[in-house]
Amino acid sequence: MKNVWTIVKKEFSRFFKDKRMIISVLLPGLLIYIIYSLMGTITSSVMGTDNEDASYTACVVNMPESLSEGFERLELVEGLSEDEAKKKIADGELDLYIVFPENFLEDITAGKNDPYPNVKVYYDSSAQSSVKAFTYVNTVFEILQGIKFTVNLPVEGENIRFDLADEKNTAGKMLSMFMPMLMFALLVSGCVAVAPEAIAGEKERGTMATMLITPIKRWELALGKILSLSVFALLSGISSFLGVLLSLPKLMAGLSGGDMAAFYSAGDYFMIFGLIISAVLVIISAFSVMSAFAKSVKEAGALITPLMILIIVLGVVSMVLPSVSVGLYAIPLLGCELAMSAIFTFSITPLAFVLAIVSNFVLAVALVVALSFMFRNEKIMFNK
Amino acid sequence: MEEILKVENLRKTFKLSRKQQKLERTNTNVKTAVDNLSFTAYRGEIFGLLGPNGAGKTTTLRMLATLIKPDSGNAYIEGASIVSDESKVRGKIGFLTSELKLEEFFTPNYLFDFFSELYGVEKSVRENRKRELFGKFGIDKFAEVKLGNLSTGMKQKVSLVISIVHDPDFIIFDEPTNGLDVLTAKVVTDFLAELRSAGKTIILSTHIFSLVERLCDRVGVIIDGRLVALDTVQNLTAEKNLEEKFFDLYKETVGEEV
Repeated sequence: MKNVWTIVKKEFSRFFKDKRMIISVLLPGLLIYIIYSLMGTITSSVMGTDNEDASYTACVVNMPESLSEGFERLELVEGLSEDEAKKKIADGELDLYIVFPENFLEDITAGKNDPYPNVKVYYDSSAQSSVKAFTYVNTVFEILQGIKFTVNLPVEGENIRFDLADEKNTAGKMLSMFMPMLMFALLVSGCVAVAPEAIAGEKERGTMATMLITPIKRWELALGKILSLSVFALLSGISSFLGVLLSLPKLMAGLSGGDMAAFYSAGDYFMIFGLIISAVLVIISAFSVMSAFAKSVKEAGALITPLMILIIVLGVVSMVLPSVSVGLYAIPLLGCELAMSAIFTFSITPLAFVLAIVSNFVLAVALVVALSFMFRNEKIMFNK
Repeated sequence: MEEILKVENLRKTFKLSRKQQKLERTNTNVKTAVDNLSFTAYRGEIFGLLGPNGAGKTTTLRMLATLIKPDSGNAYIEGASIVSDESKVRGKIGFLTSELKLEEFFTPNYLFDFFSELYGVEKSVRENRKRELFGKFGIDKFAEVKLGNLSTGMKQKVSLVISIVHDPDFIIFDEPTNGLDVLTAKVVTDFLAELRSAGKTIILSTHIFSLVERLCDRVGVIIDGRLVALDTVQNLTAEKNLEEKFFDLYKETVGEEV
């Protein structure tokens, strides 16, 4: 028993007397707190403004006068035929097309129940504002729950599609929701697997010093490391990505009819690939800088964890951001995730793409420079 | 005699922890590892740096090899400053020390090629040198065995060969025979003598007196970061052997019997 205590004491002094160790263990918690609070603020501010101020455009047919007050957030568009309205919804120019049955109020007053009066609401599930408008209208209908009627009840023998989104847009929206985040998560795990070992590991084993006494320039060493590590991370990312891509049809069976991959052009894939490469360079460089700070592979792992969380959280942020101003694309990694989302929803602009990719490259270069300076610093490289 | 290394007032300090300050009963939070060190080495000699553990030998060598920077002072290797012309210095010197490790995953053959490239050795020159050096040390017999699977002696031979892939004129050996059996140690010391006959300059850091007596032309004795004696081995050992002379020097410097 006495020996157990001796070991415990030794482990405790190893831990509590090492400031770096304490920081690296406690930092993730602190960062999670900061990041999640920040995310919460962003999310709630986004949701908040959305619920109270936004108004939606709708073309409404046969709405009883007495109900119009309840729909104060709908901007009514007059004089559209059914086909025109549906086309505008599919094109994103109109949020909703609502058709009340003729004699809606009379039928309700008369207690018609076979079938109940049915309101038809046409919307586009691939357009954010249309979906929100649809939700809003449904909320209003729920307030009217005392009255017996149905909304979008399919009628036998009648094949009506209320969701006007075409397959392409639906698939795009679905992919844009999870693909950027998934890809980033895969890339990050690829980078984590290689960076600490190649930088902190070489430091720890003393093989880095052997290279540092050769005439090789520090930036050559930094760039060589980062380029090769990026290739490994990319390979690991591609392998996981292929796994996802190939299993996607099975995963999505029933959710979407069409062949999703075919919706995208070679140009789209090329852009995504470019974004992935630029992102890998940033992530690897950032992880390498952290690994260079660390004295051991283990410490590098601890130092990288907060960064990992941050990157994955950026993915979440990119998902919840409703309308994106072009400036956001200039934020490294975040811009990249937004650009990927935009590619999947067919709404990428050349400027956004260029900003996203260039911001990543600029940051990667800055990090390579930082790493070469670290290689030059004896306090960082030979700190035991 | 041509000066190949000129060390001028080299100084290096390290931070002390608070507990250590208390222990040493000092208020300064720095420890001077190397204190105003100056000496010169000439072409074609083996210059010994002799001193007890912790005297500052390795710190001095690390500064000369540009791994760390001096706080003040400078040193010139064939005219190139270790402070302002690091890259040039690195190309001129070979440095063998236990601190510099080789990746255990690789074979001697691969490592020789890798470091030859980093030092900018041409391929034809590299192959000739490899054949010659591998043959001399018997590395050719395990040239394709991963370093991790080699014995301590074999590894040391590989490290020695790698440290001179670029055929430097100025070579620093930090305790080159540490941990080696007498046979391997003899191979190494014989090689040092051979390098000298080839006109190379060698700085040999060690705490083994017999090695200094046998190999070195001149020797500098370092105690507590300061150079307390610098002379030819012949002069230093004129009255008594090097070990006894060293104890005298130690007593004079530290002020206590050994």
